[in-house]
Amino acid sequence: MTHLPFIVASYGITLITIIVLSVGAIRRLRRARAQLASLEKITHQS
Amino acid sequence: MTRSLLPPRSSSTLQGNVFSRFFHYYANPGRFLHMGTRVQPYLTYSALFFTFIGLVWGLFFSPPDWQQGDTVRIMYVHVPTAILASSGYAALALCGLFSLVWQHPLANLAAAEIGPVGACATALCLVTGSLWGKPMWGTYWVWDARLTSVLILFFLYLGHISLIHAFEDQQHGYQAAAILALAGVIDLPIIKFSVDWWNTLHQPDSITLTKAPTISSSMLWPLAFSMVGFFLGFCAIVLARLRAAILERRIRNLLFPSHHQPFNSR
Amino acid sequence: MTRKIRRLWFVVIFIACFGTAIGLILRAFSSDIVFFVTPSQIVFSPLSYHRVVKLGGMVVAGSVHWKKHTETPTVTFDVTDGLKAITVIYRGILPDLFREGQSVVVIGTTTPQHTFIASEVLAKHDETYMPKEVADALRKSGKWDPRFGPPPSDIR
Repeated sequence: MTHLPFIVASYGITLITIIVLSVGAIRRLRRARAQLASLEKITHQS
Repeated sequence: MTRSLLPPRSSSTLQGNVFSRFFHYYANPGRFLHMGTRVQPYLTYSALFFTFIGLVWGLFFSPPDWQQGDTVRIMYVHVPTAILASSGYAALALCGLFSLVWQHPLANLAAAEIGPVGACATALCLVTGSLWGKPMWGTYWVWDARLTSVLILFFLYLGHISLIHAFEDQQHGYQAAAILALAGVIDLPIIKFSVDWWNTLHQPDSITLTKAPTISSSMLWPLAFSMVGFFLGFCAIVLARLRAAILERRIRNLLFPSHHQPFNSR
Repeated sequence: MTRKIRRLWFVVIFIACFGTAIGLILRAFSSDIVFFVTPSQIVFSPLSYHRVVKLGGMVVAGSVHWKKHTETPTVTFDVTDGLKAITVIYRGILPDLFREGQSVVVIGTTTPQHTFIASEVLAKHDETYMPKEVADALRKSGKWDPRFGPPPSDIR
């Protein structure tokens, strides 16, 4: 009996979690930076 | 909240030894943000480097085990996530201590960002362990001391995450979560020594501080790489989330100046 | 005493009290936390025949016998902790790691005939990891540590 499915599944789920967490952090950071930049532009104009 | 109207006691924060001065220096979110932005790329790229080498080495180039065969390769993801689960919670408790005792302005934000990442690491540890247990032990799950104490750790993480958002007043949420984080620290030695104190299905630790590792060097090296990689990756993800949280806090203060929440609002 | 030091002491006392409480609870329930009982524990203090217990120990070399009278083979083997041995009867598929000399945990009930009817067999492995070549070399050079279990060449 080969245990390949178990090995593939454990590596797969680990990689998926790492990617989801990383992409989530990057997107959050980008959105916050963009929002802050536009807000600061508005406050400087007014 | 009335206490926040008092002027900060800046004179006292500059006293103390180098250690406490370091912490007070980076307690300022602006300074922390500046340092974090500089450190982030080094952290991220070294994490990618070590994780990639560790996992590829473990998956394709490390030898199969004499009794477990190729299934031992699950170790290269299971052990790093297990270590992250425990050390992440230790970090959470440290944040709780800094929050309750020194009212460190960043500790609450850090705790809120470490919690979900640590919970993910614990979930990964449980799932990969389960996937390792089925082919080797013959079962996905048993209620032995090690497995149960790690499951409790996972629920502690979930409790911490929900407590932070459970209160109308954010400060109350932070305080309650900090108390839970400190109380839950008891679970860490139980996890560590569960395999020594009671008999369990889970084997004792292969890598200990007191004895030589009972793991062949051809397997220890890829494991070391992936442990370092996962640890750096954990730090990199938490740092990125923490930077985002600081920026989000700034945005909220700009949008709702009347509700201005200083970081140190107690 | 500053307020910070006082708060620090509160935290320290809180953790100490809470830790003591948890420690005492774990001590009190220690016999329930252990995952399995050993053959000698069962022999010296016989349990109720209906209670499901987990029996842990090593499979005695040469004690494994297969009886194939139905589709799923019935296997009998002795489990020992070095002091006493109990014969286990099990019908079903064994885990891959099952072999003579391997540690196992069997779940089932004892019978008045001093045998153990198992409903589930779990293999337990130790914390030693090494490539097969290293294990073979260790055995050839006579440096095989018996703590690691039986030498690899004995594996079926």
